[in-house]
Amino acid sequence: MTDLTQSAALSRSEPEAVPALRPGLIAKYVFILLWSAFVVFPFLWALTTSFKDANGVTNGATWLPWIQYRPSTQGWSSLFGGAGGTDITRPYLNSIAVTLGASVISITLGTLAAYGLSRFTFRFGWMRNADITFFFISQRIMPPIVLAIPFFLMLQALGLLDTLAGLILVYVALLMPIAVWVMVDFFNSIPRGLDEMAWMDGCDPVTTFVRVILPNALPGLVVAGMFCVIFGWNDFFFAFTLTFTKTQLLPVAIVALNSSVTPWWALSASALISIAPLVLLAFLVERFLSKGGLAGAVR
Amino acid sequence: MAEIHLQQLAHSYAPDAADPAYALKPIDMVWQDGQTYALLGPSGCGKSTMLNIISGLLKPSHGRVLFDGRDVTALDTGRRNIAQVFQVPVIYTSMTVAENLAFPLLCRKMPQAQIKKRVEDIAERLGLAAQLRRRANALTADQKQLVSLGRGLVREDVSAILLDEPLTVIDPQMKFELRRILKQINEEFKLTMVLVTHDQDEAMTFARTIVVMNHGEVVQSGGPNELFEAPATRHVGYFIGAPAMNFLPATREGNEIRVPGLDLSCRAPRELAKGPLEIGFRPEKVELTGPGQSIRGVVSRIWFEGLEEIVEVTRGGQTIRARLPAGSCRHGSEICLTIPEAGLRLYQNGRIVT
Amino acid sequence: MLDLHNLRLAENGVPHLDSITASFAPGTLTTILGRTGAGKTSLLRAIAGLAIPDAGEIRLDGADWRRLPPWKRPIAMVTQQFINYPHLPVLDNVAFPLVRRGEKWPAARDAARAMLDKVGLAAMVDRRPSQLSGGQQQRVAIARALVKKAPVLLLDEPFVNLDYKLREGLREELVEMLRTETGTTVLYASTEPREALQLGDRIMLMAEGRLLDAGDPRAIFERPATLEAAQVVNAPPINIVPLEIDTVARMGPFGTQELGALGRDLAPGRYRLGLRAGDIAPGGPHRARVILTEVSGSETVTHLDLAGLPLVMHEKSVVAHAPGSEIGISARLDRGFVFAANGALISQGASHG
Repeated sequence: MTDLTQSAALSRSEPEAVPALRPGLIAKYVFILLWSAFVVFPFLWALTTSFKDANGVTNGATWLPWIQYRPSTQGWSSLFGGAGGTDITRPYLNSIAVTLGASVISITLGTLAAYGLSRFTFRFGWMRNADITFFFISQRIMPPIVLAIPFFLMLQALGLLDTLAGLILVYVALLMPIAVWVMVDFFNSIPRGLDEMAWMDGCDPVTTFVRVILPNALPGLVVAGMFCVIFGWNDFFFAFTLTFTKTQLLPVAIVALNSSVTPWWALSASALISIAPLVLLAFLVERFLSKGGLAGAVR
Repeated sequence: MAEIHLQQLAHSYAPDAADPAYALKPIDMVWQDGQTYALLGPSGCGKSTMLNIISGLLKPSHGRVLFDGRDVTALDTGRRNIAQVFQVPVIYTSMTVAENLAFPLLCRKMPQAQIKKRVEDIAERLGLAAQLRRRANALTADQKQLVSLGRGLVREDVSAILLDEPLTVIDPQMKFELRRILKQINEEFKLTMVLVTHDQDEAMTFARTIVVMNHGEVVQSGGPNELFEAPATRHVGYFIGAPAMNFLPATREGNEIRVPGLDLSCRAPRELAKGPLEIGFRPEKVELTGPGQSIRGVVSRIWFEGLEEIVEVTRGGQTIRARLPAGSCRHGSEICLTIPEAGLRLYQNGRIVT
Repeated sequence: MLDLHNLRLAENGVPHLDSITASFAPGTLTTILGRTGAGKTSLLRAIAGLAIPDAGEIRLDGADWRRLPPWKRPIAMVTQQFINYPHLPVLDNVAFPLVRRGEKWPAARDAARAMLDKVGLAAMVDRRPSQLSGGQQQRVAIARALVKKAPVLLLDEPFVNLDYKLREGLREELVEMLRTETGTTVLYASTEPREALQLGDRIMLMAEGRLLDAGDPRAIFERPATLEAAQVVNAPPINIVPLEIDTVARMGPFGTQELGALGRDLAPGRYRLGLRAGDIAPGGPHRARVILTEVSGSETVTHLDLAGLPLVMHEKSVVAHAPGSEIGISARLDRGFVFAANGALISQGASHG
């Protein structure tokens, strides 16, 4: 039971709750600062390194541009067709296309499948809905290497090796189980009574799904989408085994940068640029959640 | 087993503010050893604050809590020897019923043989003897609630049992059994029991003394009959009893208090402060009579309830509800009602005068 | 006219609906009274199309509903749980069914607004359901059901999860609101006899999926067809006293009694006497032990033990008999109902009320 006066009084007392700086509190802040530094440090290092040239890199750990080292955009320009580097524009666009394509298809199909599994009873021999759901996720239990050869042979047979379409197909096979798994759980948490109420308000099952269930499953969609994008974007293994030269994805391209001489500046720049979309995504999701994207959730 | 004394108790979540908003307004109360009490009120009335102060989860900003004269205000929950039963059963689902009941004793390092005897004794009284070897999560909700109660009862040093809406999740058909067991436990163990609830029937059924709370204030404290017969405020009159008490605005005319337009009056007390007057009476006190010293009105609504019906009578913009034997009048007909003077209560500014 | 013919529904061999045949006229409110598990919800769900009957027919004005999916049936329903669309503001919630059937937004919005005004939520139109109290949430659900003006309105214990003062108030409001909906067939499922008697133009008693009795509430209450019906319609529960007639009438712990008019035409044999809790009163020759006193509203129900016979006594005020104590009671046995061994009502005593 919630006591209204209690919570109201608690929120009223907040201004007074700002305490004086006690030793315990100072220790807490010091710890938080140290931890933040520990987390931010690699990014900072990559950032400074990306603006250095060969001289700057070999001069040890320096942080302040112009004062400690001479900034150079060589690392960045070399990634986009500049002199002395490899152009990663193409792999970058490939990665975006494959990740987005595979994620959208996986979420669409996965959500539909999950709704079906959550609301209707299926039977296949002794298997019931729960078994079928487990089947979806079970393929992710296998180590990827087991799948690599079958995938290779299948794409070869279809003539899709080294193509974007082939990669999207493979990623859908990998990502959809995650979408199904997340969404089945989410749909199960939405009471069936809501579907039935929509039916009685004149919605057929398709309209019910689109107008009533999907809007309430939005937080679940965001979570599933995030999983898919992160998995798809970061995969190296399949991107490496199922492509040769024509279609290269970003993780493969970055690894390829590391040829005879290690261009630290270009590597750092590529590392930063490869995490950029995920950082952007994290910010968007954070905004969505804090703006009350979950307010409509049934719970 | 203890007498609980709430001494000059009050609580504000911001005691240092210029205008401390009291979640619990100052009270002074003694709860006798071995009696049953109920804290009754809507959510937000301060009953949970009071319960948390007694159990030690919350330190009051003013006043003291005494158990048998011993100041326990500063003690935390664990050292107050209090057993609590919550809305949702709190049990160790992985253990059997016997293990659940034995756990508090095991923690206090009681000898095995003694534990076994005590557990069997308590299980017997709670009607759980047949369930001792079962897993706690295989029990029904009401049995689980009994196990949580039993975990408090096994300790011989327990001072009081606090029950926080313990019957909310219980199937209506099983409530009777739980109510019966709670009463019986109180009889046998002579334990002080405090029930917190928003349900009038629950409070009236369980407790000998009911503490009605509203807006952080104790409005009335008394037995079920007292609350029903002489509600201290309009709020209690509305909150206790169904249908609610009738209240009609009244004026003073010499030695009498009259309801204008109706033949309804009572004797005025010798001293009367200023403020609006009302006459209140229970629908159960109304009697159907012939013409004479009575109120005439038109039957505007009837709710048939079986043996009786609730009749709404309108007269000059006033409505009265009466509980009458079924079939005593027809919709739209004019009837005459009397209310014996013993059933009339006088209210001023919403508080009872006589 | 909504007609049910020989409706059957079983799950895992347990009958939820057992050959139900009934008709519901437009403009009447029928309360369906029965304990939890009596089949009330199954009946409403079958009418709504949410449960598919194993056999039988459902017809509205002659039109066969058997192949009609729920979204095509002209019905509205309010359930025990407060179900609203969590993602929509209150106004859109209520306008939703109108928009779905193709009404333009301004018209739908105005109708929804008017209905919300009627249920007292005019100030809450922009809130989300989760920001409302339980009572308000249920009002939204009621508004959404009423705004459709569907010819069939199904109410499945709509107020059971609300606290008791709120329940009392909403029940009265609902009756007020339905008063203007002439021509609507309303079915209201309830477990509380009083609620069912109060609300219903007609009352229908159910137990274990069977239809026990149906008709005018007063008639059913005063003359229940069977012992089972008497048990369902009485709250507090009706007392059952063994009755054995040879040359005299023997009634268990009450001993030999003069039955008067009640027993005049009874052949010797064994019967059961149904005695309402209100016909037992404190003060009298029979010594009974108090098991528990329960207060409900303005009344007191005391559970007694009379020499092994469980009895329930109903008093019209708030009193507290100490559990375990012995009190004297008297019983108006002449006001009882005599049921045959098979449960059928044979005769009944002096007038009730």
